[in-house]
Amino acid sequence: MNTTNACRRHAGKALFLTWLLAVGTTPARAEQAGTAPAGMPAMVTGAQIYTHLCQGCHMAQGQGATGAGSYPALAGDPAVASAPFMAVILLHGRRNMPAFASKDHGWEYFHVLPSLTYAQIAAVINHVRTHFGNHYKDVITAAEVKALDH
Amino acid sequence: MGETPGAFFREQAKGNAMGEGAVKGAMTRRQLLRMIGLSAGGAAMYQAMNSLGLAAESPFRGPLSLSGAPKGSSVLVLGAGIAGMVAAYELRKAGYRVQVLEYNTRAGGRNWSLRGGDRYTELGGATQECRFDPGLYINPGPWRLPYHHQGILSYCKLLGVPLEAFVQVNNNAWLHNSKAFDGKPQRFRAVKADYQGHVAELLAKATQGGKLDGQVSREDQEKLLASLRQWGALDKNYAYLKGELSSARRGFDKDPGGGLGARPAFSEPMGLDDVLDSGLWTGIPEGDNYETQTTLFQPVGGMGVIGQAFARELGPLIRYNAKVVDIHQGEHGVSATFEDTTAPGSRQTVSADWCVCTIPLSILGQIPMNVGQSMAAAIAAVPYAASVKVGLQFKRRFWEEDEQIYGGISYTDLPINMISYPSTGYHGGGKGVLLGAYTWGLNAMEFTAMTPQQRVRKAVEFGSRIHPQYPAEFDNGVAVAWHRSPFTLGCFGEWSERTRAEHYDNLCRFDGRIVLAGEHASYLPAWQEGAVTSALDAIERLHRRALAGGAAA
Repeated sequence: MNTTNACRRHAGKALFLTWLLAVGTTPARAEQAGTAPAGMPAMVTGAQIYTHLCQGCHMAQGQGATGAGSYPALAGDPAVASAPFMAVILLHGRRNMPAFASKDHGWEYFHVLPSLTYAQIAAVINHVRTHFGNHYKDVITAAEVKALDH
Repeated sequence: MGETPGAFFREQAKGNAMGEGAVKGAMTRRQLLRMIGLSAGGAAMYQAMNSLGLAAESPFRGPLSLSGAPKGSSVLVLGAGIAGMVAAYELRKAGYRVQVLEYNTRAGGRNWSLRGGDRYTELGGATQECRFDPGLYINPGPWRLPYHHQGILSYCKLLGVPLEAFVQVNNNAWLHNSKAFDGKPQRFRAVKADYQGHVAELLAKATQGGKLDGQVSREDQEKLLASLRQWGALDKNYAYLKGELSSARRGFDKDPGGGLGARPAFSEPMGLDDVLDSGLWTGIPEGDNYETQTTLFQPVGGMGVIGQAFARELGPLIRYNAKVVDIHQGEHGVSATFEDTTAPGSRQTVSADWCVCTIPLSILGQIPMNVGQSMAAAIAAVPYAASVKVGLQFKRRFWEEDEQIYGGISYTDLPINMISYPSTGYHGGGKGVLLGAYTWGLNAMEFTAMTPQQRVRKAVEFGSRIHPQYPAEFDNGVAVAWHRSPFTLGCFGEWSERTRAEHYDNLCRFDGRIVLAGEHASYLPAWQEGAVTSALDAIERLHRRALAGGAAA
């Protein structure tokens, strides 16, 4: 953002963030893994996180999708061979995929920051690496994810 | 504008220098501006006005009038969204041979309205058929036009797209926190009046108690007190109390009327604690933001009318069902290879001297294109935001009939985020369509992960907590999750301050014969004005390059 524009726009956008911080539940979710607003699904286990978040783009069976561009399949994708690689992508984003570590977010306007805890990130990585035809034996821990968040 | 590119640049330079130097000069502003206007043309005068702080802040500098394209020169425009069509329209007018490739079977891109009979297939294959009644629609993408977005508004005027007012703030709409007031929504009007009244009373007490003596002069304290009384609807003792003054702001228990028994009944303000604890005060400034201030507009019949008007204007210039799979530039031109999506696997190549590429970065990053490292890195640096909109058709306009809500927006802490009521068709009698969810961030991603039917069901379920009429009156709905959109793979480019600093200029700079345009190449992300102003900027630079024989501009 250029300074003038940024200040002005930010002031406006910040309203919506404040609105949810004050009355909403979701921004606090990073600290309260798995607590969801009434009526929304819990996101504790890797399977829950995948089903209620990741499959929006990567699809229910990890098969990805193609239109004018593509979302990569996670089924049999060599990229999932490395759990730390996946962790870095989840934390900081990659290309059009947004970051899930709160500090990497550009713009507070889009107000429910899509933050996951380190434990949630570890859980969903371990889920993907043992489903959709993937059979990796090694697991990643929340502490190991945290160590990659810098 | 000058006869030759050289003259043009000299005039610009002169205009700038005069604009800056003039502030210190002895001339009056009017004299100065007149002189600049006479000697350097409207654009320079505008710049000078800007430096004096007299012009509006829109980056739109008035309609373009490019002319004199080098004979036989051509431009390939990728994408028939707002940016692409603005570029195509202006370049054709300037004399270029223009062709446009578009992935969809329609023009407009995110400028789009879903109406009864429309079918939409999202990524993953789920197809929805919109079953709204004739004349009813939802805008899955942009839905409002701030009055200062003069670029997009000027094209509405040019293309004969009629506008009507978009109601942003409705004092009779609801502010809702599921954890305050036993989950009962409160009228925006009452929350605002009570917040303002209590704050004014507190500040008046502080002033009268001498607490502001060090900061505000005695004389100004009198004025401050008078203004607080007016601003907060305080009584003569500077108190915010139940009575005529407060009810005239927050509404009455029984409205005044005519005839026998017409005497109004005043309403009881909420306590300061209740207002503060509820957090509902955060919804008060919604219409104070520059982008949401009155007046806002919407095209009559849906936002998509703009895209349709452009498509009519450009006619056969647009090639639909064209999925770009490769972009290649050489010393003398650019070529794009595309697949005709009605004949999968087919390949065709078109070429031109120049390319204005408006393909969203989420997709462009996957298309082979020989640009330099700096532009390639910029394309790869921008994630795409999640957003979901749900349109719900109800059997009757109960929000008007039962609750006297005509247009505007109710805000809630529930995952649907807001409910927006149609700004048109009041007292329509028949069915009505409202925006039943407009979500961002994690909520949007969760809605994206659902099937379209689940999204609609969730929107009805959450909305029922604000409008109990929902379950009985619900008819049908459609849900668009932007990460599932086959033609964008996301809602809009989400820049951060860091990525702006590192990549923005590199994204916008020409790379050889290719220039990018779109909301992603603007400081107005997700706004159509960003698409318009970035396209105009890109083609002005393109034109200069073309006139200079391809040299850097």
